[in-house]
Amino acid sequence: MTAPGFKIENPRFEQFLSRGTREGVRVKTGIVELDEMLRGGFMEGDSVLLAGSAGSGKTTLALQYLVNGITQFGEPGVYVTFEELPDQIYRDARNLGWDLRSLEEANKFKLVCTSPNLLLESGAENILDEVIKELPAKRIAIDSLSHLGMYVEENQLRQEAYRLVRHLKTRELSSLLLWEVHQTGGSSFTVAEVGLSFLVDCIVLLKFVEIESSIKKALVIMKMRGSDHDKRLREYEITSHGVNVSAPFTHYEGIMTGAPRRSITEETANSWALAFGKNKQKHS
Amino acid sequence: MSATQILSTLLASEVRGDLLILFHKNPGLIDTIDGVARRIGRTAASIGSDVIELVNLGVLKQRKIGSSEVIFLDRRRDREVLESVASHFRTAKQGGEN
Repeated sequence: MTAPGFKIENPRFEQFLSRGTREGVRVKTGIVELDEMLRGGFMEGDSVLLAGSAGSGKTTLALQYLVNGITQFGEPGVYVTFEELPDQIYRDARNLGWDLRSLEEANKFKLVCTSPNLLLESGAENILDEVIKELPAKRIAIDSLSHLGMYVEENQLRQEAYRLVRHLKTRELSSLLLWEVHQTGGSSFTVAEVGLSFLVDCIVLLKFVEIESSIKKALVIMKMRGSDHDKRLREYEITSHGVNVSAPFTHYEGIMTGAPRRSITEETANSWALAFGKNKQKHS
Repeated sequence: MSATQILSTLLASEVRGDLLILFHKNPGLIDTIDGVARRIGRTAASIGSDVIELVNLGVLKQRKIGSSEVIFLDRRRDREVLESVASHFRTAKQGGEN
């Protein structure tokens, strides 16, 4: 460290000063299409809210983010669950081809199962810090913030979520915070209602949509602080290998409202014009 | 403590069996005695003494978080205990064969 007339030569001090997330570095999810939507991945050290209703694939996407982090990018990760039966997570992950127990044995992954009240009481420090340091973890997924909401009042939830987000940021972790959205249809999005949206850097919404009497899954990035991102809704599926993001819903509009309709493309407009012209000729 | 003593401590009650299965299936579980008891369909009072025995054996660890006392699996000690028991079985089997 140097300044005019001032110099410190101490490797440990240098190391301390160089702590923090690296500017412009992206944390890839390993899902190519999603990384494209994110213009390369999440920003390092960011807190990402992954919102979606039950069955939308939040847990699968979060596990895929951690497993890909370990296997493709060498970044150990922690999965924190408040669910009653976390052994189901091991089983479900195995069905998707991810052996979480082997990753744990290799000291690259840890699945922590606890009660939300303990996380609140400890301020996350005692309960997670040991595990985070042991790996050391670069990624973390919290499943879910909605469970925290069961133990505190709405205005307290904001404070506790803020405390948790700040704690994870000071540990330089790139985090995925899962949030259960109750509405499966329509435009309702409760994240904004409880005021969590401004606490996080990025929001990814998973949503069921009805297209031609079929239920499809749509993914959209609603916010990404400090970065451009794809604003289009993309269809995704949960396959035997995890989440697979495909093409945008280009021929529909109003999907977020819950009442989608086919958008008028140039081709259909021309077809209508042609049909109208023929009809006019016929009657003249 | 000998492997025989460890085995008799581990298998002394049904509750201990339930606790060991729970923590082996969910090695990252960190919860209060009450929370753990609920997860195996029992009450805190009914598992208290068994938890103490497993803590004394070193398989479970106890720690204070805020105002709550939590228990969790000591993975390293658990592995040592399992290895000791497995080694005991191997020796007993070899003795039987000879």
